[in-house]
Amino acid sequence: MSDKLIEVFAEVLEVEASTLEETSSPDSVEQWDSLAAMHLVAALEDTFKIQLSTKEMMKMHSVGLAREVLKAKGVDV
Amino acid sequence: MNASANNIKIGLAGSFTLDPITRYLKKDIENSECLVAPYNQLNQLSFKPEILLGGETDQLIILWRLEDVIPDFSNTFDALEEFINTLTQLRNNYQGTLIIGTPPYPTTAEFDCYSLQQPNKGATLYHALIQKFTKAVLSLENAYPLNFAALIDDIGHKNSYDARKWYLYKQPYSEEVWKSTSAIVSRIIKAQTTPAEKAIVLDCDNTLWGGIVGEDGLSGIEIGTDFPGSAFQDFQKHLLHLRSQGVFLTIASKNNEEDVLEVFNKHDGMALKRDNISAWQVHWNSKVDSIQAIANELNIGTDALVFIDDNPKEIAEVQERLPEVTCLLVPEETAYLPAILQNANLFDSLATTDEDRKRADMMRAETNRKSVNQSAMSEEEFIKSLALNIKVFEAEEQHLGRITQLINKTNQFNLTTIRRDKNDVEKIQADKNTLLMGMNISDRFGEYGLVGVAILEKKTDDVWNIDSLMMSCRVLGRHAETSFLAKIADAVAQNSGTALQGIYIKTTKNVLVKNLYEDHGFEKEGDNWVINVKDIKQPSSDVTLSLELNSGS
Repeated sequence: MSDKLIEVFAEVLEVEASTLEETSSPDSVEQWDSLAAMHLVAALEDTFKIQLSTKEMMKMHSVGLAREVLKAKGVDV
Repeated sequence: MNASANNIKIGLAGSFTLDPITRYLKKDIENSECLVAPYNQLNQLSFKPEILLGGETDQLIILWRLEDVIPDFSNTFDALEEFINTLTQLRNNYQGTLIIGTPPYPTTAEFDCYSLQQPNKGATLYHALIQKFTKAVLSLENAYPLNFAALIDDIGHKNSYDARKWYLYKQPYSEEVWKSTSAIVSRIIKAQTTPAEKAIVLDCDNTLWGGIVGEDGLSGIEIGTDFPGSAFQDFQKHLLHLRSQGVFLTIASKNNEEDVLEVFNKHDGMALKRDNISAWQVHWNSKVDSIQAIANELNIGTDALVFIDDNPKEIAEVQERLPEVTCLLVPEETAYLPAILQNANLFDSLATTDEDRKRADMMRAETNRKSVNQSAMSEEEFIKSLALNIKVFEAEEQHLGRITQLINKTNQFNLTTIRRDKNDVEKIQADKNTLLMGMNISDRFGEYGLVGVAILEKKTDDVWNIDSLMMSCRVLGRHAETSFLAKIADAVAQNSGTALQGIYIKTTKNVLVKNLYEDHGFEKEGDNWVINVKDIKQPSSDVTLSLELNSGS
């Protein structure tokens, strides 16, 4: 199954998409540091043509939470 | 292909986070590697660039904002002077090429350009600061100014600044800014190694003027002050500007020589004169022959030539037979003709004119004079001048949020990189056999808040283990770690311990602290570094230092 959101995370975090799960977070993925979080925001905004608020950025503490935030903004992920 | 042969190592440092540029630089410059210093550490960087960057680099790009470096606008010029001294210091301590950005127009209230109370006040101050700064950069050896401010103007301040990213990541700019900055930086870097094109080979009809002189006659061609002649005239002026910078102008035209000569000699609208043309091939032979003849006459390689023609067939033939020649087709839209050479960046050269050089020499002499009286500070003197105030304390409930954050975010100055959530941290704080320590730092530049965390566990009555030790990157380069360790030892002593032990767990990011224990007098015993609390290295007496333990422990 191709999942656009996972693809973005995999590319920015430089990990295999198959290693990522909905529960993946900065605690479980070593590459997911504060800089990666900043790059993720840029990549998500660019890929899905959205603008995230600071609250939304801070909420995205796992792949699943990022999916929730994007869904709430009407993105089909 | 040997990738390492051309491997360019680029260092980046700024008064703000500039990591987003690395993504673009890696694409724009082949075989490049980027090392980024922690943000707003330019002072520390100027003493030990390799340590802050985490390795040696060939180029170092510095971007900064006035509002980060000069937070108090009551003594602006002194603060700028201090920043210039920092750059001079950096020049002395860094081996490679420096590329230094001009600061953009500030976003703070003092600089509101629409203020009705104080119109132009901000702008006047800004321009005075920029003038002083630019002069200083030009006086540094092997340092190139990068007009970052112009780039922000070009994109527009509203499209450049991203308040969300500034507050969350100390990163003030939109992706567009990073993309454009990367493009300019790569031009500067490439211009240092790639020789600039040296001569332009120009067609005449519909390239230097509108129309065909052989058919339309001297009075029929378009060149002068009215459009479209005005666009051709501006193009000629642009060519003359390049000539003044050392680029040869030459002609390759299929025409009767006397017709073309007549235009050059008699037409008022011509900005170019016959004397400005260094080589001249006007006849009915092929353009390829003409281009080769021009290269021979000027004694340069054909790879140093740019050929401009309005005829796609001529362009195609030259590309086919002389692929090393750079070819530009005159655009259909004549209004776009004057800018084609500017957009192509073909003549990027970092060589300056004699006059620039002279001015730079004068400036350099002045700077040298100054530094005799006011010689640059040593690192020790710098640290002394900071007036550091360090408070080490046992954490209370109010500190746990920030401590959890540091435990999960700190990568570089972190001995064990053990991550913990808030619950774990609360348990540690409550545990009688552990000490959860925090460190607050302030200096004359301001308050840094809670920037250090240590977790100490009682192993035996005598021995305490340093489970975690970390410091935020915003306070690196002040030897604050020495104060922290000394007070940690005091805290252990006050809890009747006599020895400290700790380990270093290597990650991809914490090489900075590899030798921390060794440098502070610890000795290796198996995996552990061990020291008697009485033997720990003491900090400089210039630091104001205090320790507070909870009465309960």
